[in-house]
Amino acid sequence: MRARLFISEAFRSLAANISTSVAAVMTVLIGMFLLGLFIALGSWVISWTDHVKKDLVVNVYFCTDLTCGEEAAPKQIDAVRAGLASNPDVREFSFISKEQALEEMKKRYPEITGNLARNPLPPAYEVIPVDADRVQEVAASLEPAPAGVEKVTYGEKKAERVLQVATIIGAIFLVGSIILLIASTILIANTIRLSIFSRRREIEVMKLVGATNWFVRAPFMLEGIVCGLAGSVVAVVLLLLAKELALPGIMGRIESPDDIQAWSFPLVALILVCVSLLVGAVGSGITMRRFLRI
Amino acid sequence: MLNGGGDGVPAPAATAETDATAPPPGGTPMIVFEAVTKVYDPNVVALREASFVIEKGEFVFLVGPSGSGKSTIMRLLLKELDPTGGRILVGGRELARLKGSKVPMLRRNLGCVFQDFKLLTDRTAYENVAYALKVQGESKRDIRSKVPEILALVGLGAKMNNHPHELSGGEQQRVSIARAFVNHPPLLICDEPTGNLDPDTSVGIMQLLYRINRTGTTVVMATHDREMVDKMRKRVIALEEGTVVRDERRGGYG
Repeated sequence: MRARLFISEAFRSLAANISTSVAAVMTVLIGMFLLGLFIALGSWVISWTDHVKKDLVVNVYFCTDLTCGEEAAPKQIDAVRAGLASNPDVREFSFISKEQALEEMKKRYPEITGNLARNPLPPAYEVIPVDADRVQEVAASLEPAPAGVEKVTYGEKKAERVLQVATIIGAIFLVGSIILLIASTILIANTIRLSIFSRRREIEVMKLVGATNWFVRAPFMLEGIVCGLAGSVVAVVLLLLAKELALPGIMGRIESPDDIQAWSFPLVALILVCVSLLVGAVGSGITMRRFLRI
Repeated sequence: MLNGGGDGVPAPAATAETDATAPPPGGTPMIVFEAVTKVYDPNVVALREASFVIEKGEFVFLVGPSGSGKSTIMRLLLKELDPTGGRILVGGRELARLKGSKVPMLRRNLGCVFQDFKLLTDRTAYENVAYALKVQGESKRDIRSKVPEILALVGLGAKMNNHPHELSGGEQQRVSIARAFVNHPPLLICDEPTGNLDPDTSVGIMQLLYRINRTGTTVVMATHDREMVDKMRKRVIALEEGTVVRDERRGGYG
């Protein structure tokens, strides 16, 4: 009974103040569209840096007669294995024998390996650290090189650059999302304030004929919810269109392995709708307080 | 100070009654002001130790120049403001003790009419009156029967579905009176209800208020309308710079 009354009150004033209602919906729409775009883009980029980080491995190359003058002894290899196994920074490591290394080489560069007289490649360990950030520590633990190890590489320059970029991108995404969230909250709150301010006389009259604060506030909050819902649903539809129509054209030109993924669309949509409902209802409710002191 | 003769208007029967603290004829008085002071920031004294008693069923004019404190009394009665000092009782209940959550209940028992009508502009006359009932959780059926009845009573039966901007000033004031009276509150307070209306229209409004008063409703009306006050011969409380300077049973504007 009560609820029906509030709903009918909310919709009649939405219709009566159609221009402010549309303005509120547009504000939510713009804010949520940008936020959604940012979340999608940001999560994709973060996933991309994660992918790049996975390539950060430490390679331990053992001696061959070509490099050190003698082959690394199996004992020496075992000693390195034991060291790696007990290192807490190491997640996993795999042994690549001379033969496996040559197979790999043949696959990548068949023209070079085609007429090799014998296998010049060293056996090696490929070591994956627990976290890409620890790659330097893992490399450092093999310094100076143990007996039988020719060299340890981890692509110092590349590693540093990738880690820096990843950190910066993460920070930008976080700060940007927060700023965008605050900005759209303020923008929406402002629109609500304007709409309520233009109706402060109406609120005064309601209070003077004996309406309780909740009786005045509930329809306004419902209006906020309706505007928030409308705006965010349209934003989600636009984002979906962008994803389906524009994205394939762009993505076609970027090399994108399968493990690079933005957050799933339903999740982003859910976040947007929840944020705007919350901002709509709470924003209206809080803004009302000032005008209810009659 | 009380009981000043004004411009020679004889007030024979009233003299004995002018003492506002005389025992009430029937039960608790409608309104009691006990040395009420209201000071606005910064140090503007709107009301200075104002005391008077208004009995149930009375028709009282509050007169005085602009800024004499009439509107402050109205707003204090609605608990839109709280007094700086003194006590206000409405229907025997002290307003200062009324919790904020009970203020809506106070206002439902207290019809108010304003100079600027204060109608909701996007609602028809019918919806404006119906709103006052909806606020109280009145059933749809009751609203459907009460609203046309009260609008017919104030003479607007034919214009129920017009919006305020389609009505004349007098008609808008009738809608606002209908809204104030639809609950049949025991007290009706009017802040210059004829202030924006021409003399002929004002007479119509006054007749309406008089009829409402005859049903037993206490009417308190702040006004500038000298002619009207002189013609009605009702109780007059005169204010000057926030002080009650005169309180007469059957007074003139002064």
